[in-house]
Amino acid sequence: MTALDYLLLISAITVVIALLAGNMRVGGWLVTILYALQGAALLMMSGLGYSTLTVVQSSLRFNVLSEQMLWRFDALSWFFALITIGAGLFCSWFASGEWGEKYRDNGGSLRLFHGALALNVFTMLVLLASGDLLTLFIGWELVSWASFLIMALAGGKAFNYAMRYISYAFAGAMAVLGGLLLIYAEVGSFDFQSLKEAAPQMQASTLWLLVVLLTAGFGVKMAILPFHLWQAKAYAETPGPGAAFLGAISSRMGLFAFIVVIVQLIGISRLVEMEIPYTFLDAQDLLAWIAVFTIIIPTYIALRQHDARRLLAWHGVGQTGYMLLGLVIANDLGSAGGLMHVFNYASYQAMLFMAVVAVMHRTGTSDLNKLGGLFTRMPLSYLAMLIGIIGLAGLPPMNGFVSKWLIYRSLIVDGSPLLFIAAVIGTLGTILSVYKLIHNIFLGQLRVEHAAVREAPLSMVIPMMLLAAVVFVTGYFPGLVLDWTSAVQASIGLPVLAHHLGGVDMKGGLDMIWIVSVLLVGFGFGTLVFFLGGRSKRVHQLDNYAGGHFLTAETRYHYSDNFYPGLMHLIGPWYRNSFEWLERGVISAVDILSTAMQGLYRNAHPSYLLLVAVVFALSWVIV
Amino acid sequence: MHFYELLVELLLMPILAFVIGLAMVLMMRRIGARIQRRVGPPVLQPIYDIIKLYSKETQISHGLMHEIGIIMAVGGFIAAMTLLPVPGMSGLTDKGGAVTLAYMLMIPSLGMALGVGQCANPNGSIGISRALTAMLAYDIPFILVIFGASYVYGTTNLAEMVAIQQQQDVSSWGIVQMPLLALTALLILPATMGKHPFEIYVAPSEIATGPMVEMSGKFMGGLFVMQCFQLYTAGVIFTTLFLGGGVYWITFLPKIFLVVAIPMSVAYLFPRYRTEDVLRLMWKWPMLLGLIGLAVVMK
Repeated sequence: MTALDYLLLISAITVVIALLAGNMRVGGWLVTILYALQGAALLMMSGLGYSTLTVVQSSLRFNVLSEQMLWRFDALSWFFALITIGAGLFCSWFASGEWGEKYRDNGGSLRLFHGALALNVFTMLVLLASGDLLTLFIGWELVSWASFLIMALAGGKAFNYAMRYISYAFAGAMAVLGGLLLIYAEVGSFDFQSLKEAAPQMQASTLWLLVVLLTAGFGVKMAILPFHLWQAKAYAETPGPGAAFLGAISSRMGLFAFIVVIVQLIGISRLVEMEIPYTFLDAQDLLAWIAVFTIIIPTYIALRQHDARRLLAWHGVGQTGYMLLGLVIANDLGSAGGLMHVFNYASYQAMLFMAVVAVMHRTGTSDLNKLGGLFTRMPLSYLAMLIGIIGLAGLPPMNGFVSKWLIYRSLIVDGSPLLFIAAVIGTLGTILSVYKLIHNIFLGQLRVEHAAVREAPLSMVIPMMLLAAVVFVTGYFPGLVLDWTSAVQASIGLPVLAHHLGGVDMKGGLDMIWIVSVLLVGFGFGTLVFFLGGRSKRVHQLDNYAGGHFLTAETRYHYSDNFYPGLMHLIGPWYRNSFEWLERGVISAVDILSTAMQGLYRNAHPSYLLLVAVVFALSWVIV
Repeated sequence: MHFYELLVELLLMPILAFVIGLAMVLMMRRIGARIQRRVGPPVLQPIYDIIKLYSKETQISHGLMHEIGIIMAVGGFIAAMTLLPVPGMSGLTDKGGAVTLAYMLMIPSLGMALGVGQCANPNGSIGISRALTAMLAYDIPFILVIFGASYVYGTTNLAEMVAIQQQQDVSSWGIVQMPLLALTALLILPATMGKHPFEIYVAPSEIATGPMVEMSGKFMGGLFVMQCFQLYTAGVIFTTLFLGGGVYWITFLPKIFLVVAIPMSVAYLFPRYRTEDVLRLMWKWPMLLGLIGLAVVMK
């Protein structure tokens, strides 16, 4: 048995144990330990992450109609699996303590929750291990169904959003299937290697069709424009840590498949040759612009949300754009940035969702207009959210800065000013929206009904703090993650980024060890300067300037709704829900078509139809 | 370079920046006074102000985050100063270039925003909402300028940009190479400094509706220190990108003071813009100029 066999086996056992013991008091902890064991099995293959191993085969393989189906891990799979298992571990840990008890008391089935989470991890590992296009498709479908399962758990509204997801996913899967059949027709095999060899000789028209089908199919899972509508609502309504898990990694599976088929097998250089007639653009530019709009539009939709989970989920959609952008640029900086962003984003997004769930656990709401001032009550959750938003906004010293810096730098090297500006517009919008998030939850006035709220229990705080440490340490020493991304770059045939522990050595490079150190020392001096001044007196927060009025706890003295009126005054009219309209249009069209079809087959004139069919059949036989 | 030399530089750079920043505050007040036909404050007034603010008896703190916010605001600027090349010292410019600097400069704003948020005064939060909106307004043309300069010089390292401009006479300066981008930068300069006519988010003359509403004593003092750094940063960035930076202090100082003086002199003549008008203005003329400038330099 190879290490991969152990990994898949333990993962499958995790699903079974979760389903059997999920409802027991120790069930959650048992499952968490099993995730840790999966992590250990993954570490047995850690050579993949450092380019000392190229591939780990699994013993599971069989032949179907002369096609061999096999599962194996390479550096790319290892990197994504690391994030998947990490997210699974922390989310399951988070769910195992008080959160789980409350969930069960409120009528939720922990057995189903843990089972669905474990199933998600398992199916993702199967997808990541796929060694040919056929297994890729099987893994793809499994992942789609598993995420549907966890999304639909909450029932009610969540079920509707999950149904919306599954219709998108079906359409996407059909597109992928179409693409794969096209490949089979062209190449005659589902083998990765034969596609890679055949890609340079393919005709431009075939390649266009292929790229459109596959990008659309995989893009549905990534929720790139124009398929972005399903994700935020579906993720936000998933129960607690499930949302953290989905938000952190689930939609990256689309990116994984995109990397495997488009970046690794077809090759970005092939895309550059595919010019769009009558424009200056080629297929690479097109994808880059899709990525950029995927950054901007969802980020500014997030700015308008007043539910913390929706806001985060919309940012999740937007951050996908950065990853795609970096990978489509495909130079050493960009692809390293895109890949690193997958890791970084997962670490802080999981933490942010956890912080929001912790707040919901204590206060019962995630409505940004019904919270405020919780910093004094839940300081550790606040710390987690602070570190998370600095990461999400991409400011130093957190890891989000490094990956975004790599992407910006690659755009400067590439000489793409408009893409660069667009990427920065996304970042600035993120800063605005995450400030609103932390301000409306943790800063400002504490509501009377939250005066007795306590800090979240340790079972929730510890995973958050561990993730916070990951976010900070990989920001301080980005080389830790860049080692893995370099191994991935080498294994998928992209130029490898020369890096060191602190960052990148080049003209106009980056050394985070120095930057973060100087920032910390700067804060130290700032503290010194601060304490040079006279002693300050802490006052109650209602001891405040109120223009001559006397404040009491009943007075709502907090600014939350319509947080950016000046900005919305200008860009408000640009929100037109065009994509919602488009979606409704498509739904209506399908509806009309199906009604017409039903009318034709069932109600109208079956005998005529039979006649027509018979005439056709006869004429075919005779001629 | 020797490790200890670097440490000395890192220590000296923020101190110099602070001292020069104080002088710039003085200059700004004097210019304002002259335009309004007043005499203006004496030379040591900024120092007196800081001493006064730090030693006030009433120092109201609204909680831990209020204090940390001010520390972040000052500390973030102290750290960012090491990324700005000055004559004889290049500090950490080779370890983080223009893009890093642009993002480092957002840390003080974030710190201030968090500190103000903790004060639980809606007037303060409204000020922050305006400040962040203004940041969105001026940062887009600013980043465009940074891109243009990095593209022209072929590096994001600010010290290298200075070296490139010093190779020949004035004709190799950025302002000659990319005049439109320089003009863009000049237009957004008052906004990045939070000065007239874009100061509504600071609202210094009607404190009750701005972020400073709950700031007293050393909290206000921290913001005063931050302002010194802000003026200095604006002057040095523009000089480094467009005016050949500095090889000697004797030429460097007049340049950075001039850069800060120009928008100051013009700005006091204008009334203030509302937040949405700041956005409209910044996204229209500087963006347009900047894009044309970019098209010119990239051909």
